[in-house]
Amino acid sequence: MQIRALKRLVGPSIWANYPVLEAWVDLGKYEDFPSNTLPGFNEKLMRWLPTMVEHRCSIGERGGFFQRMETGTWLGHVLEHVTLEIQSLAHSAVGFGRARETSERGVYKVAIEVLDFRFGEASLNVAREMIMAAAEGRDYDLPASLRTLRKLADDYCYGPSTQCIVDGAKKRAIPTLRLTDGNLVQLGYGKAQRRIWTAETDTTSAVAESIAHDKQLTRQLLTSVGVPVPAGRIVTSAEDAWEAAEEIGLPVVVKPQSGNKGRGVSIQLADREAVLTAYAIAEKEFVASTVVVERCIPGRQHRVLVVGDKAVAASGGQPQTLHGDGLHTILELVALGNQDPLRGEDAAQPLSPFVLDGIALDLLKRQGLSELSVLQAGASAVLRHNGDLTIDETDRLHAETAEQCVLAARSVGLDVAGIDLIAEDIGLPLEAQGGAVIEVNSSPGLIMHLKPMVGSPRPVGEAIIGQLFAPEQTGRVPLCAVSGTNGKTLVTGLIAEILRVSGRTVGEVSSQGLRVGERVLGSGDRSNADSMRRALMNPYADAFVFEVSEPAVLDEGVLFDRCEVAVVTNLGSGDHLGKKYVDELVTIAKAVRAPVDIVLPTGYAVLNADDAGVLEMASHTKGKLLLFSSTPGTPALLEHLKHDGRAVVREGEQIVLRKGALRIPLLGLSGLECPTLGLPTFLVDDLLAAVAGSIALGANAEQIQKGLEACLGQGGIATFDLPKSALRPNGGLLVVSPARNSSALEAWGRHFQQHFPGRRAHLLVDPPADWRTSDAEALLTGLTQCFSDVTIALNSDARSFVEALEMTRPGLNSRPTGQSSDLMACLDQLLEGHLGADLVCVCPANSADFLSVLRHLETNGLSRGRTAGLASVRHCR
Amino acid sequence: MNIESIRALSGSNLWSDQPVLEAVVVLDPLGLPPEALDRLCGSLPSALGAALRRDFVAAEAGAWAGLLGQLVVGLQAAAGCQVSFSTSRALKQGSEYRIAAEYSEEPTARRALELGLELVRAARDARPIELGPQLLALRKLNEDTRLGPSTGCIVRAAQERKIPIRRLTGSLVQFGQGSRQRRIWAAETDRTSAVAESIAQDKELTKSLLDAVGIPVPKGMPASSVQAAWAVAEEIGLPVVVKPRSGNQGRGVSVRLRTREAVVSAFEIAFAADGEVIVERHIEGADFRLLVINGRLVAAARREPPQVIGDGKSTITELVATENLDPRRGDDHSTSLSKILLDEIGREILSEQSLTVDSVPAQGQVVVLRRNANLSTGGTAADVTDTVHPSVAQCAVEAARMVGLDVAGVDIVAANVSEPLEQSGGAIVEVNAAPGLRMHIEPSSGIGRPVGKAIVDSMFAPGDDARIPIVAVTGTNGKTTTTRCIAHLLQQRGLRVGMTCTDGIYVEGRRIDTGDCSGPKSARAVLAHPRVDAAVLETARGGMLREGLGFDWCDVAVVTNVGEGDHLGMGGIHTAAELARVKAIPVRRVSERGAAVLNADDPLVVAMAGLCRGAVIFFSRNADAPRIVSHRAAGGKAVIVRDGYIVICSGKDERRVAQVDLLPLTHGGRIGFQVDNLLAAVAAGFWLGLSVDALRFGVQTFSSDIGTVPGRFNVLVHRDATVILDYGHNASALLALNEAIRKMPHRRRKVVYTAAGDRRDEDIHRQAEIIGGFFDDVYIYEDQCTRGRADGEIIRLMREGMQRAKRQPRRILQKSGELPAIAAAISALEPGDLLLCQVDQVDVALDFVKGLFRQAEARPIVPLSQFAAAALAALGIIGG
Repeated sequence: MQIRALKRLVGPSIWANYPVLEAWVDLGKYEDFPSNTLPGFNEKLMRWLPTMVEHRCSIGERGGFFQRMETGTWLGHVLEHVTLEIQSLAHSAVGFGRARETSERGVYKVAIEVLDFRFGEASLNVAREMIMAAAEGRDYDLPASLRTLRKLADDYCYGPSTQCIVDGAKKRAIPTLRLTDGNLVQLGYGKAQRRIWTAETDTTSAVAESIAHDKQLTRQLLTSVGVPVPAGRIVTSAEDAWEAAEEIGLPVVVKPQSGNKGRGVSIQLADREAVLTAYAIAEKEFVASTVVVERCIPGRQHRVLVVGDKAVAASGGQPQTLHGDGLHTILELVALGNQDPLRGEDAAQPLSPFVLDGIALDLLKRQGLSELSVLQAGASAVLRHNGDLTIDETDRLHAETAEQCVLAARSVGLDVAGIDLIAEDIGLPLEAQGGAVIEVNSSPGLIMHLKPMVGSPRPVGEAIIGQLFAPEQTGRVPLCAVSGTNGKTLVTGLIAEILRVSGRTVGEVSSQGLRVGERVLGSGDRSNADSMRRALMNPYADAFVFEVSEPAVLDEGVLFDRCEVAVVTNLGSGDHLGKKYVDELVTIAKAVRAPVDIVLPTGYAVLNADDAGVLEMASHTKGKLLLFSSTPGTPALLEHLKHDGRAVVREGEQIVLRKGALRIPLLGLSGLECPTLGLPTFLVDDLLAAVAGSIALGANAEQIQKGLEACLGQGGIATFDLPKSALRPNGGLLVVSPARNSSALEAWGRHFQQHFPGRRAHLLVDPPADWRTSDAEALLTGLTQCFSDVTIALNSDARSFVEALEMTRPGLNSRPTGQSSDLMACLDQLLEGHLGADLVCVCPANSADFLSVLRHLETNGLSRGRTAGLASVRHCR
Repeated sequence: MNIESIRALSGSNLWSDQPVLEAVVVLDPLGLPPEALDRLCGSLPSALGAALRRDFVAAEAGAWAGLLGQLVVGLQAAAGCQVSFSTSRALKQGSEYRIAAEYSEEPTARRALELGLELVRAARDARPIELGPQLLALRKLNEDTRLGPSTGCIVRAAQERKIPIRRLTGSLVQFGQGSRQRRIWAAETDRTSAVAESIAQDKELTKSLLDAVGIPVPKGMPASSVQAAWAVAEEIGLPVVVKPRSGNQGRGVSVRLRTREAVVSAFEIAFAADGEVIVERHIEGADFRLLVINGRLVAAARREPPQVIGDGKSTITELVATENLDPRRGDDHSTSLSKILLDEIGREILSEQSLTVDSVPAQGQVVVLRRNANLSTGGTAADVTDTVHPSVAQCAVEAARMVGLDVAGVDIVAANVSEPLEQSGGAIVEVNAAPGLRMHIEPSSGIGRPVGKAIVDSMFAPGDDARIPIVAVTGTNGKTTTTRCIAHLLQQRGLRVGMTCTDGIYVEGRRIDTGDCSGPKSARAVLAHPRVDAAVLETARGGMLREGLGFDWCDVAVVTNVGEGDHLGMGGIHTAAELARVKAIPVRRVSERGAAVLNADDPLVVAMAGLCRGAVIFFSRNADAPRIVSHRAAGGKAVIVRDGYIVICSGKDERRVAQVDLLPLTHGGRIGFQVDNLLAAVAAGFWLGLSVDALRFGVQTFSSDIGTVPGRFNVLVHRDATVILDYGHNASALLALNEAIRKMPHRRRKVVYTAAGDRRDEDIHRQAEIIGGFFDDVYIYEDQCTRGRADGEIIRLMREGMQRAKRQPRRILQKSGELPAIAAAISALEPGDLLLCQVDQVDVALDFVKGLFRQAEARPIVPLSQFAAAALAALGIIGG
């Protein structure tokens, strides 16, 4: 079993609406050996991963997957389930997986939900090795692999605090973008974005953090607002520490003035020796810091999490204690205790490890123990007074204490703060029991509130999200995705311009480039995840229009999680079939549909009512429906209008907005005709899509007209005058327009037939590499019906297509005789006048080639004609 | 000459509105020899010496005290402080003088005083003294203490906008007050995001974020091998920089690499410094620093690394020494430029140029002495703000926004900033949080830019001075009740009120500190409290004398009365008139839009009207008091009682607020001094914009029970007797109490009282005389702390005083302390008695009394005697 390729689908895709890893798996010889035919295979896997009994699989009940294994399933499917289970065991639960056959025997596409791609890929490799071991009857050390994977998860996945905030955002449907490999996360898109870095928000004040790090200053500020703090002062020497201790009254705490997490802190020091030792520890651990002596407050340590003006969680601590068994020494008990998976340095582990440092040893000494003492059964030894916070006490937090904690955070200036306080009982006011706040922490750990050992977890992530986003804020600005087989770029450009004239700073991504506001950030085909990411990161952008191309959806998924508006121009007979095991129109349709699947409930799916394949997508959206159509009387449209639905419809020379019986004229088509090229229907269809999309985004007729005007005359479809020759006594017209699939090419053919009736039209097409040989005949049949001549340039990428064509249609003038060259060579031949047509349509496959063709023609002295009207719209096709 | 005591009055004080250092100086009884003046002036910088000599009048008693004050100011000025005021005044004891000298930094002033004293003594003893090093040390001390140039310029800008400033520690400064406060720490504001700072610290992350939004950055990529490094170099285009990912001071960095060989060797150098190596496009050009504040470009500077230009004769060491003679080059950050250092790094850089410190560069040869252009290592900065192309400015603004900083120093490398970066090929190389402002305030060439103002303007909307309404209440008696009443009124308006008074600090009704909190420390605590929307501050004399005011300006200053005064003889205040000068300090600090609320019946208070910059509101129970009439005739405002109503007057206009005898505090209108307190409170509330309805509701709901105003005329009934708990402890207060008690039905008057030991004999006599002449039974005791008097002395003085009274008490009972005296008096109560219990330690005494009453409650309730019932009815506590 080999993994041929891995695709990281970063967002909604043909598989799911969240990130999945797509693996192309070649089973090799195992294609002939389903699970039940491999001796011992099922037993081994079931033994190694007994928890997979929970996988219901297609059976739909507990143990479902095991049943499938027993009745026999292919290893690709097993790989899916094992990878999911391994991720769940090593980090946290994921549930989605699919395994699908491809057109190639033995090759499967396996899609697996992942939390992080690097971790997911590592898990997939472990799963593959494990399955191979089972298949080959070998053993496998799963625990060792899981340990490695856990380490990877720590490095790659969000930390627990970040994860809980990200989860909180998800609950509010606020989108997130990870900005680094670490825990810096953008919440929301464009102008609506906020950022967090672990438990710091972008409004966490750096000044406040500096204050919180200075314990003396913090104490001064808290005192002045009446929050109880332990009496204490800075000391300058061990002797001074003892003097201070005597002034303050024993017992005391000795700690470094700056620093956190209780490092270098000794508490309950009741005699001179203890104070002197503690001073040495505090001074040593923080060389640059001053040491503070404080009154020791009786009671247990607590942590209160303050977010904004609320105390959202409270956690109580217990001293770190070793329990004796009469057998082991303290040293051994420490080692044993540290094997507890809950105990460790990692942020996700709720218990900190036992450490026999100076403080612990000193404390043991004061309990009459040493590290070599054997602790009797039933006896216990305290290693650290300020132990782990393990008990959720949120519901017990006294209102007045909560108020004091909020005030403490406010005085320091922190929006998110962890308040450490000592109190016998957090259910009573602090003053009443002599309790005090001992520290205010910025960027507090959240794990104690997420995974308490006693009590229930608290929704602290949601609280932090609530602090960043008011209830009515979504973190979103309007986002419009445009997909479809043809016309996406034009529609994207038009909608973006309409938004721009309405005063928006638009992030526009299309095959023409990446642009935010007035700044062009990249040219060429930018219809990909990286460009969308750059646009969404831009803090000035307050609207987005993204062209979503099918290859990008198939290769990397859609970057954004939801959209306000999804416009689907058309599906027709599809495009991009034939590569990457995409063999069916239905797969392409899924890719085109991806944005429709993720329309927000408040948003619109804007669909072409004249295209059955597109209309079918209506059932997949959670949003509202807005149709567009150039044929007003179709049953689907009438049905939609009957139910008070909205539609943008071409009615003769008018584009009107229909809502039930209501009819609002938006735009006249009369001025949009090109003197040379006329008004191709497919361009009107694109205009309808753009108008409908803009309406869905809230634009009005005036803005639509203004936006359209701004796009006119900026160079669209190019035309050239063909010089007169013997064969073309009246000269002729050459049209250059990018088109790369049968729908687009045929659309031109039909337009020529209609607009130039009776004239010979010659098509020169440059076949893209992904054209399937199997489609060759159908394609050619279609094209010859609407063009009198067709030249298909031979390029090495599409050689097999062209060869297949020659096999099936020998003798057809499918390419010029006597040459073997590319588009430019074919073009030159045409211009030399060997062909009789006076209408030539040149269709490069992409916009880069489009520009090359224009340059080529200009260099050869052809004069460029002027297009006008809709044909002159910038980024036209 | 000796100094007895020193204190720093940091707020407005008796002497000045500026902070002053106050010292009690004891002059040598025999005076100083005449030549001492010459010796002293000779040892001083000539201008200072001349000034002292000019002002010195030998014949004047205490001339040397005055001279010392001037000397302290002069020495501070020589150390760089902007101070000018000093004064001196004789104390009662012949050779003692109080001097006061203005200061800007307390430690500097204290040192200047020590130094001044040393100088005078040296002059006296004809001891030589070398002032130079001492002055240098003083200047250094001042530099270390005062705010650095960046913080200083922001603070000055805030002061220009009349925003109050409070330095919390080091460079941490609070702007504004209460809930409107903001903070800065050097060039960081409290809105400077910690996340943004973390981003800025990670240069690679910063670059990737800027690149994502299309801001030109030097394209770069990590390279893990020599091959990869060259591949990257070819991809991004030559020349390149090769550097370790993390690193500082430019170590391991190689620049301007154009060949494969160069890249290879540079990679090895960088790799040795850090396992992670970055290959980056090399950008040719100068270093620019653009300062962006709140989305606007405020200043730009071109920075040059420290360099010297050869003259063909001097060595580099000599050239540097010459350059360092420039007076703008100082040893620290306080001057506009720093000295060029020829340290290890400098020598390293020289050796890269194949030079040593002893090399003699040719005429015109430029020798660079640092890789970076930081000011702190001797670099220079030229202001280029006006030449920045709008598109470059826009890039800098967007870079700051992308990183998320409100105040950012954006570093650009480019041939110039006067054309777009796309044209110049320049790029943003770094975005810095908390940027130094020195280069923009005092650039080496070009004009300084108002960067402090820009930061302040980014924090506060135009016209916002970040102040909260402040009411200061002072006077001899009634301060606490008035303070509490004003706080109560303001709370009606929904304001979160912070209040300080003799009983503690209260915020939103919650007590956050206990004890006497009527001083400046407590005032500052309230003004620093982030929840406080309005402050009502009892402002007692002690704090004003000790430290000055705790605020710079107030909106309303209330002076209840001065009367016969209190605490006379303490703190150099001997007469009621002198006391009035102290009580007038808050009146002096009423802002122009504020008002002084003054007692029209107290001549010493009336006289304060002339000191007030703002309006004056007089109050009086007597509607026809001459002062009220004349003030109103001039269109002034007043609050009076007419026809049994509290009435607010503006000129002729009169508006009734409330019927006096229905207000609980006045006990049926009988307690005159409480009516006065209400009038003052209404005046303050009125000035702060409370409506008549709000004022009415406020005074109707304000009473003086133990809970709301503990120890201020709390009337209780116990065993058919009336017990009044009050804090009054001076003659004026006693007279007012007697006046009130006289109106209350009772059979016998009893009192528990002691005088405070720190009062003058005459005051104790006077208090005892008033008591003795009025009460039947007097319980006297001595406090544990007799404030410097011998045991039994207070009792003796009180007994002496009582003998002077026209009428003698029935019984004088002596007890050993406050609580035993109270206990004895209460246990001896008989029906119909009226006991005035002076409570000194309010909290303790009240708890004690409550405890006694609780015990008594266990007993069966007896019917009220006719006297007690009548007393209560009269006070409106029970019906008819």
